[in-house]
Formats: sequence, structure tokens, C-alpha cells
Amino acid sequence: MILRIARKELLDLSRDGRFRVLSALVLIVSVVSLAAGWKTYTDLAAQHRTAQLATRDQWLNQPKKNPHSAAHYGVYAFKPASQMAMVDTGIDPYVGVAVWLEAHKQNEMKYRPAQDRTAVQRFGSMNGAEVLQVLVPLFIVLMAFSAFAGEREQGTLRQLLSVGARPHDLALGKALGVASALGAVLLPATALSVVALTLSTSEGLLADDPWRVVTIGTVYLTYFAVVTALALWVSAWASSARLALVVLLTAWFASAIVAPRVVSDLAAWLHPTPSAVEFQKALEADLNNEKDMKERLDRRRDDLLKHYNVASVDALPIAFSGVSLQEGEEHGNEVFDKHFGALFGRYERQNRVFQWSALVAPTLAVRGLSMGFSGTDFGQHRHFVTAAESYRRDIQRTLNGDIAKHQQAGQVYMAGRELWDQVPAFSYEPPTAGWVVGQYAIALAVLGAWLAAAVVLMMRAASTALVD
Amino acid sequence: MLEALALTKRYNDVTALNALTLTVAPGDVFCLLGANGAGKTTTINLFLNFIAPTSGTAKVNGLDVTKEPLETKRYLAYIPEMVMLYKNLTGLENLEYFAALAGKPDLSRDALIGYFREVGLAVDAADRRVGTYSKGMRQKVGIAIALAKGAKALLLDEPTSGLDPKASNEFSDLLRRLSGSGVAVLMATHDLFRAKESGTRVGIMKHGTLVAQHTTDEFGHTDLERVYLEHMRD
Repeated sequence: MILRIARKELLDLSRDGRFRVLSALVLIVSVVSLAAGWKTYTDLAAQHRTAQLATRDQWLNQPKKNPHSAAHYGVYAFKPASQMAMVDTGIDPYVGVAVWLEAHKQNEMKYRPAQDRTAVQRFGSMNGAEVLQVLVPLFIVLMAFSAFAGEREQGTLRQLLSVGARPHDLALGKALGVASALGAVLLPATALSVVALTLSTSEGLLADDPWRVVTIGTVYLTYFAVVTALALWVSAWASSARLALVVLLTAWFASAIVAPRVVSDLAAWLHPTPSAVEFQKALEADLNNEKDMKERLDRRRDDLLKHYNVASVDALPIAFSGVSLQEGEEHGNEVFDKHFGALFGRYERQNRVFQWSALVAPTLAVRGLSMGFSGTDFGQHRHFVTAAESYRRDIQRTLNGDIAKHQQAGQVYMAGRELWDQVPAFSYEPPTAGWVVGQYAIALAVLGAWLAAAVVLMMRAASTALVD
Repeated sequence: MLEALALTKRYNDVTALNALTLTVAPGDVFCLLGANGAGKTTTINLFLNFIAPTSGTAKVNGLDVTKEPLETKRYLAYIPEMVMLYKNLTGLENLEYFAALAGKPDLSRDALIGYFREVGLAVDAADRRVGTYSKGMRQKVGIAIALAKGAKALLLDEPTSGLDPKASNEFSDLLRRLSGSGVAVLMATHDLFRAKESGTRVGIMKHGTLVAQHTTDEFGHTDLERVYLEHMRD
């Protein structure tokens, strides 16, 4: 019975010229955004490969030099482009994809595509996530607003209920009808994206964690189900189709357009982050704290003298200049951990505000989850930054250790290829989908709760819907 | 088949229907007469369980419509003043859809065309969208739905108002055939002539109360009009 109702809804819609025009538009926009995402991804992936090889090549083939010069020469670490970033570019365009790893400093990421954009592009950027989070719900609203209210106005609801149609069947059938109409538009786009995913890398489809594809798909399908059920709920209780449309468009505008901006401001107000200048100033104040630095170095010197049972640093079997450089690093690392830790902690608390705010609008849950499973959210930015920083510290330790071992008093020590080879190439393993699930447990629970609530509301409204 | 027992509906202070008691047996065509607001449509809505009674019961085939809302609708067919159909669907698609929801999901195209013929619709209209149908044609689709469903009771709310005399006459013929085959018909109407022609009994309603019941063979058409007008006098 539900299938029969769904089939009729689809047939009815497909004969409506307005629906045909609308679906053609949605299809075109989806394909264009997908093409844009594919282009961005393949460009990025190619650049990433080239740049990574180049930075490794430069490192290995640098001429003989003092290891500390090499440390200043530095290397670049590149965040691998996630395939799913084709769907949701997330914060990547704003935080950048590469970081320069050098002595003494934890640098911020560079190469932010957003920096190269003009103000106009900011509004016109075609992102699959925007289509899925903003346009598709609007499409659902336009298909579903009259499902009950329109039939009530036309009088067909009376006719339907008089023949003994079950209200629950009607609600589920109509929901399925909307879903099939949506599927008719999104399936071609999905099929294209599968082809695009397959062509995008030599490893083929699902070179990324396949669970990411499964989870992001589930999240969006759940979201569409929530929107559909809510739209049918409103349609069932609204006294007219016009009222249903006004209510739904208002809700769409509030949740898809207004809420994300308001919640961003709210999160920033609850957990304010320092400006870049303030952050830099505080960081430098701690870095340049001579007293801390001196105490640390004195402690280390005393430990070493005691350990080797000698009277002065000149009598040590290792070069104290290397030790001193490493102590400088350790001091810096503590400062970086403190400041970046506090900053990142704030961003993560902001993220939790976002997740909880999804109680007000399901779109907010989907925004985070979509970025999360696309690998382009703050959590995975931090994951990469942490891995890159840990690699930087390994490099410094290796180089400074080498200085301590080989530096002779009164001469400039030069290291060569053997030392460069001791530094492994940077390899980064992005977190799994399971890790992302853990990060977004709140948002997932809230989205699930929305689905349950929306279905209950829809069913109840359908069974108590007035015939006129 | 249709039974009202002290059926009452009040909206705040207004009594729309006051303790209506009536029985419509299979083969009966009971015509409810009365001015607008006399409670005719309220009666039909109560039988369809579209509104809840304030007191009393409406029964279809012995079942209380408020307790068995889906079961009782299996026996009912409803034809309002204007049968509402999906204008983007063809006549046949509408018939198939409503029949399916009424519990007859597997009717073949031939069977459906058969019902189309039976109610006097042109076969070439079957595949035309209902948007192009006249009112008379829509009413006939309504009857075709009732036939396909195998309804045991028909609830009609001014089904012939606005129909031209020929269409109205065809409609009455269909009703007679249905009642001849044992269907109970309850029809609200203003049309005294139709009531006399196709009804077996008439009831006159006034301000929510059934004030008189007669069998139609008691009198000729002019007598019915006289009796009706006498009741309408305040």
C-alpha cells in the first residue's frame, strides 16, 4: 500500500512541469558542483604529489652543511587531499594544506586557497556540501509542502480517507514518493561522483577509507529523511498549502542560512579565541623568556656533568652546542604545546557548541559530520598539524643529536647525505572513519534523535489530520 | 447497513445534529432533505468519522464508526457534491489508485475499463487526464470507485447539484441500479424531484432535527413539495 501511494506521488510529481524544471535545475547544480569538486581535488592531489616529491628531493640533495643550517633550511609537510573533499571542502580552503617545518618554530599552515579568492568568489564557490545541505532541503520542501495541505485544499484528502486509506500508510507513502523523486535527481549525480571518485586516483574507487563514503552517505540520507518527515508533518497540520509553504520556507531559511552563522558567533562568544596578533605576542613572550631558558640549560648541564663525572662542558664526550640547541627546541616545544594546545582546545569546545546546537536545527549536525567524514574539519586539521609537528621535532632531535655527536671544538661541522637519509620522508596516515565517529558522537546522537522525533511527529500529525 | 442512534453533534452552543435516529437497509435509498445548515452534511461526515459525535453512535454494518474507523470504511463509498480527483492523473489512473487504497490493488486494466463502461463513461476518456473532465464525468468516476470497491453503502452529499438534467438523470439511473443490487444509499439533496424519482424514503431535517420521514410512494411529486414547505415554515 505504501509503495502504491509512493508510486502515485511520483507519477503526480513527474507530470508537474514545475517539478521537472526544478529537478533539472537541481541536477545541473549538483553536477556542476561535483565537477568543481573533482577539479579542485585532482589539482590538489597532483600538486600534493609533485610538491611532496620536490621537498624530499631538495632535502636529500642539499649540499654538505652544518645540520643546524639544514634545520633552518627545513622541509614542507603536505596534508594529503582526501577524496571525500570533493563533496565537502570544509575548512581546508581557510586553514591551508601545507606547513613549513623548520628549526625553533611551529609554523601555521600556508597555501590557503581562500587567500587567492576575490570577495565575489566567496559567495559563488560551488561546494557539493552546500548543494546537499542548502539546496536539496529546499527542493524537498518544495516537493512536500502540499503533500497533505494541498490534498486537503483540493478535496482529494477527503476522498482518500473515505475509501479507508490508512493515515500512516499515506504519510510513509508520501515520504517515499518524495524520496524517489529526490533519488531520481540525486542518483545520476551520485553515479557521476562514483565515476569521478574512481577516475580521481590511480588506486581507483575508495582509495580512502571506504567507511567514510558509507558514513557520509548515511548522514546525508538521514538528514534528507528528517527534512522530508518534518515537511510532511507541517503539511499535515497546516490549514492551507500556502501556510505550510511559508512555515517551511521560514524554517529552511532559519536553519540552513541563518543558524550556522548565528551559532558560529555564539561559539566564538562562549569560547573566544585570541586574534592572530595577540596569539603571536603571547607565544613570543613565552619563547623569549630568558629565565626559563637559562634554568633549563643549567639543569641539563649539571645533569650531564654529573652523568659523565667531569668538571666542565669542554670535558664532555659530546658537543654541548648540540645539547644546547636541543634544549632550545624542548623549551620551544613546551611553549608551543601550551599555546597551540589552549588555542586548539578552544576550537574544539566551539565545535562541541556546534554539535549541541544541532538540537535547534539538524543542519548544524550535518555541517560538522559532513566535514568530519570528508576529512576537512578542524579535528582532522589538528590531527595533521600534530603529526607534522611531531615529525618536525623528530627532525630537530636527529639533527641536534648529530651535532652533539660530531661537532668538534673550534671547527665547523659539516654533515652530508648520510645524515639527510636518516630523516625519513614524512608520511601521514589520516584518521579512520571510526575516529571521526568518536569525535562527533554528540552530533550523531542529535541527528538520530531528530529522525525519531520527525517520524513520530509526521505519523501523529497524519493520523490526526483534519479532512478540511 | 447504515444506522444512527441518537446521533448528536454540537459545536459549542450550536447543535448541528440533534439525536438523529435512522436506519438505511440494503436496497434503500434514503434522501435527506432540508435547508442549508439543517445537519445533512454533518450526518454524512459523522458516518465517515471525519468528525467525532458529541453523543450517540453511527454504525456501518453494525460496527461503530469511531471504534472501527478503517473497517467501517471498507463498506462505504462517498460521493460529494464534486468528486475530487488528481488532475495530473488520467481517469483510469485515478480509479486504479482509489480502488487500490480501498483494498482492491490488483484490478486489471480490463476490469477497470469495465467499471468505466458500467458507469457510462466513454472508454476513450479513460486515458485522458481528469483535468479535462466535466463535473458529470467526475461524479461517474466516483460511482466507478464505489463499484470497484464493492461498497455496501453509499453516502452522497448533493451529488447532482449543478449537473445538467441529462447527466443528473444518468446519475439517478446508476443509483437505482446500485440500490437494486442491495446497496444502502444515504443521500443529502435539495432536489425534491430527484428525491422522489430515485429515493425509496425521504427524511426532512430542520435545525439539526429529523422532523419527518416518509416513503416516496406515499405521494406524488407535488405532495412532497407541499409537505416539505410546510415543515420549512417557522
